[in-house]
Amino acid sequence: MARGTVGALVSVHAASEIATVLADRVRSARAAGTPLRIVGGGHWLDAGRPCRALETISLAEDAGIVEYEPGDLTLTARAGTTLADLARITRAEGQWLPLDPFGSATGTLGATVATGSAGPLASAFGTPRDQVLGCEIVTGTADVVRAGGRVVKNVAGYDLTRLNVGAWGTLGVLTEISVRLRALPEMDRTFAVEVSAADGWTWLRASEFTPMAAELMSPALGALLAVGDAAVLLVRLGGNEALVRGAVESLAALGPMREVPASMWEALAAAEPPGSAVVRLSTAPSRTAALWERASAIVERARGSAHATLTRGVVRCILPVSGDGDEEHARLRGMVGALQNLGTAIVERLPASLWPAIVAPAAVDPLSVRVRNAFDPDRILNPGILGEPA
Amino acid sequence: MTASTLPHADAALQARLAAIVGERRVLVRAGELRTYESDGLPGYHARPSIGVFPGTRDETIAVVRLLAELGMPFVPRGAGTGLSGGALAEGVVLLGLHRLTRIISIDAEDQRALVEPGVVNAALSRAAAPFGLHYAPDPSSQTACTIGGNVAENAGGPHCLKYGVTLNHVLALTALLPNGDVVTLGNADGECEGYDLLGAFIGSEGCFGVALDVTVRLARNPQAVRTLLADFSSLDAAAHAVSAIVAAGIVPAAMEMMDGPTIQAVEASIYAAGYPVDAAAILLIELDGAAAGIDADADRVAAFCREAGARGVRTASDPAERARLWQGRKKAFGAMGRISPHLVVQDAVVPRTKLPAMLAEIARVAAEYRVKVCNVFHAGDGNLHPNIGYDATSPDESARVHAAMAAIMQACVAAGGTITGEHGVGIDKLPYMDSLFSPATLGAMCALRDVFDPARRANPGKVVPMHSCREWHAAPSARS
Amino acid sequence: MKSSLPTIPDTCAIPGTPLSDARAGIDACVHCGFCLQACPTYLTLEDENDSPRGRIVLMRALVDGSLPVDDGDVRTHIDRCLGCRACETACPSGVPYGHLLEATRATLTRVKPNPPVARLILFAFARPALLRLVMLGGRIARATRMSRLLSRLPGRFGFAMAMLESTRSAVKRARYVPRSDAERGTATLLTGCVMEGLFAPTNRATERALSANGYAMTATAGQRCCGALHAHAGDDEGARQLARANIAAFERSRADYIVVNAAGCGAMMKEYGQLLAGDAAWHERAAKLASRVRDVSELLAEAGPRPGGALPVKVTYDAPCHLLHAQRLATPPLRVLAAVPGLELVPLDGSEHCCGSAGIYNLIEPDVSDRVLAPKLANIAATRAPMVATGNPGCLMQIGAGLHRAGMTCRAVHPVDLLDASYAAQAAAERGS
Repeated sequence: MARGTVGALVSVHAASEIATVLADRVRSARAAGTPLRIVGGGHWLDAGRPCRALETISLAEDAGIVEYEPGDLTLTARAGTTLADLARITRAEGQWLPLDPFGSATGTLGATVATGSAGPLASAFGTPRDQVLGCEIVTGTADVVRAGGRVVKNVAGYDLTRLNVGAWGTLGVLTEISVRLRALPEMDRTFAVEVSAADGWTWLRASEFTPMAAELMSPALGALLAVGDAAVLLVRLGGNEALVRGAVESLAALGPMREVPASMWEALAAAEPPGSAVVRLSTAPSRTAALWERASAIVERARGSAHATLTRGVVRCILPVSGDGDEEHARLRGMVGALQNLGTAIVERLPASLWPAIVAPAAVDPLSVRVRNAFDPDRILNPGILGEPA
Repeated sequence: MTASTLPHADAALQARLAAIVGERRVLVRAGELRTYESDGLPGYHARPSIGVFPGTRDETIAVVRLLAELGMPFVPRGAGTGLSGGALAEGVVLLGLHRLTRIISIDAEDQRALVEPGVVNAALSRAAAPFGLHYAPDPSSQTACTIGGNVAENAGGPHCLKYGVTLNHVLALTALLPNGDVVTLGNADGECEGYDLLGAFIGSEGCFGVALDVTVRLARNPQAVRTLLADFSSLDAAAHAVSAIVAAGIVPAAMEMMDGPTIQAVEASIYAAGYPVDAAAILLIELDGAAAGIDADADRVAAFCREAGARGVRTASDPAERARLWQGRKKAFGAMGRISPHLVVQDAVVPRTKLPAMLAEIARVAAEYRVKVCNVFHAGDGNLHPNIGYDATSPDESARVHAAMAAIMQACVAAGGTITGEHGVGIDKLPYMDSLFSPATLGAMCALRDVFDPARRANPGKVVPMHSCREWHAAPSARS
Repeated sequence: MKSSLPTIPDTCAIPGTPLSDARAGIDACVHCGFCLQACPTYLTLEDENDSPRGRIVLMRALVDGSLPVDDGDVRTHIDRCLGCRACETACPSGVPYGHLLEATRATLTRVKPNPPVARLILFAFARPALLRLVMLGGRIARATRMSRLLSRLPGRFGFAMAMLESTRSAVKRARYVPRSDAERGTATLLTGCVMEGLFAPTNRATERALSANGYAMTATAGQRCCGALHAHAGDDEGARQLARANIAAFERSRADYIVVNAAGCGAMMKEYGQLLAGDAAWHERAAKLASRVRDVSELLAEAGPRPGGALPVKVTYDAPCHLLHAQRLATPPLRVLAAVPGLELVPLDGSEHCCGSAGIYNLIEPDVSDRVLAPKLANIAATRAPMVATGNPGCLMQIGAGLHRAGMTCRAVHPVDLLDASYAAQAAAERGS
């Protein structure tokens, strides 16, 4: 066999065209001292802290598949590609990217990765951190960096990929992303089981079955999605027929159960009313049930709702916000503060004016500050989005 | 009796280190340092100036702070089983961490453990066994390698196909930075906001500091396991079976391939596993999970193998046979010591669909350079381990082996792959970094290293070629 | 990019030494490190110089001349090796470590002899009359309870007396005459130095148990020490002389099997071929003789062994290194124990690790030996078994002395003693009925 047939020669060094253009923009923004707001589809702009930027760079138009060889179960796409498009393209090959962040499905891959967003499927498949193989980034120093690679295993060099996942674009603008895909399971069925958080966790911990997702929903959320008016565990089972049948039998012993359509998951992702405040609490999995009970009490008082990824110890609390008055803000401050007191709390959404007062900045430890200094020394990229002082 | 003596400056260092760790734990003489001159890749040797082996966390901190105070470079080392020359200390202090062997706690309820860096990978799984748990990443050296070393290399192993690599199993760690600062990375009790410094630290090959303790996730032992052995009369057929299984949506716990020469080496060793010695390739496939449905998947896997042309497919009938089949795979690297006096092992990764072409290319390269290549690899991941046996006393053969390795590496990069999937860059793969990464990317790596170790004293000269860092720092104006 | 792989100089700094001849064995090591966790001295001392991989590196350095043969560190770490050969079981490359160790010691002792204590012991073991006298003295000290008294003394002397004290038979049994039909052939016993001197009841038990399992036992005159102690300590010439004497003696016996109930001696005799590989006149005879050598547990397992009478006792089993690692016999001793009805076998954690006896190691490296023994005693204590079975006199005495000095009531016994006691119980029961 001749040497050339091994594969098309991939130029691993070449920066994408758009990255080169972006690098110029970052360079001039830096020279002019103009901070930039990096935007994907623009659907999730209310998430995260307010950003002190004068100009916006949108990557929404920079969409499309760069490389997709189904046999490799890997895919490389431009950052602006929407999750919905990715789902459509991969489903045609019997595959999927098991990432289901909350919010609009027309959110982009870039935004999902930049914010490190994950949904119920993280229970079995992890978060973007576990699924991204490599990425192209335009750093705040206007360098085009191609981190990681396109193969499923890669330890060459320091891990710049992980560094940029969940960095909210403050170290670089993500322009291209490679992810690992999974084959769609033979069967994919979802069941709603009425069960307490403690019993649900006990089953998940000890069961030989590993559901693709197991999300506990508060009665309010259950009612909203019309699956019942008690706390309900939504369990998504994947695998061959015998496996799913076995899991269903095991689940049935847990409480009243019924099958629900898969669209339930999309409904859950889109369930939160626009403008809500969202706080994500987390703890060690064995303490999730206790956290759930305490968080539920607060959420109920706020007439909000909550759902929990039990195996990950994550409880996501949704607090409705009505109006923009001082009184409402004072009420919110109280509620969010009460939730924060329960343990590790990450605030996803909040009225802009409330952030600095009640949410501590992220990435302000000395090492993180040095990371920022190395890649965005002039704070050109999404300044303020991590809560760092101006 | 003879013994080399230390220069005066080192004698002073020796005394100060001995005051921390005790005299027995500071090695200075040639005869004592000899074994620490190489790791699991014995082709390379480098003599440390001094070896220091703390036995506790506090001693480790005191040693690193002393070295920081003196501005001295050092190289961390676990069990010295690495395969990239990453633990070689050329004229600098070697910091051995294999004595930090405490399993501080096992939390069965939350399925995690807190361990010191010198805990041996297999020892952790043994300690977790009474709780029905194990530590999932299982590098072939798991009976000897340490968790600290696994973290430094982001180690993988056969079962990473389903369960992921070290990165996916570390919840948090306490890092001792080269300047002596102690920081916590990650959060064992929930999520983390901000930069993923834990992710950056894992796989940093000892250049960002050392881990003082590591919180790892433990996996539940599967209810059922099926181990299948399929033998093929061509590598190509085996590679096609792998593709068919993956495309069908079955995720085996592991899917390993061995070629004919490897099979013969294993069968000639004490770890003879009963592999068919006349096969061109075998696939070792393991399925695990709930008992329900596992046989259906096993039947489909067997069918895919037969469709691809397998001569036979057999299933391990009991745990003893399963263990024997795995022993053969895990000891394959060592078994090759039998066929040649010296051995180099590579760790390239290609996209899975490029496997058949890549194997053909390796065979072509082997013929061109007249070298013996044995292939044993994680087929499900496309992670190849071409092993080349040779006689290192022959300059001609050594040169041919080196040229063949370089050709294989370039072919993998050209096929869209990478130069190391789990062994790390160390010094062995340093020459290939320029072909894999652009100067800007290498520069960004240097910048990240400088975050953790601005003085570049931890494991100097590894991972990123020196010239890229020089260039990055020499011309900051070019980037602004 | 580097221009080529480093090459290794193909020179030998010590031509004509036993080590230089062993170079191929050194080259088989690929430095993978799988041996580290199998090595008792590495686990105890936590220095890679005290591991098989480290010692092989030192051997290689002697061969290529990068370290001189009189290097003090080389000697220290080679001396500290127990020679348990657990590393051989762990080694995927088939490094003949035991052979390399003996060759190294033979090379090093030419430059600097062994310490006087070691030389004295080797001297005595090579001289039957002197050895008989020493053993007699031992038995007198044991019979007069001197050993018990003196075992309370601190240090090595006290430990040696505890070893002697521990040889007191732990198994009481009635006399019986085994029936024998000799259907499995003939066997002759290597009576051994310590076995016949201090464990004579075990030798008799061995003969009875084999007879009871269909082996006709014959005696062989003129046999000597097997030479294992000499070979392990680097006195290769001394070992060869003893081997030649034994070959000559056992060639006169027409027994099918030469049966050995001391694992260390059996391992040595099975390797007579390698020991005399360089001796044209003896090599073939040595190899032929070696092929007749069997551990007692092998012959018994071959025959079943026949089950005996009930012996309700809890026993744990410690594998002698020279049975498990050198002879690779893991299951036959367990089958011997399994033939005793009522015997409850409790698994021993770390059974595959050395007890620290290692021939005369416990007398010349007492500190390391004690540290290797400590976890063994703790693991035995954890089983709560009143007896620990092991088929080698060195291990019986090392563990026995350790148990004695620790004030533990557990006793060390040879597995064959238990089988023999089971047969005795059966005979008594038959007589009684």
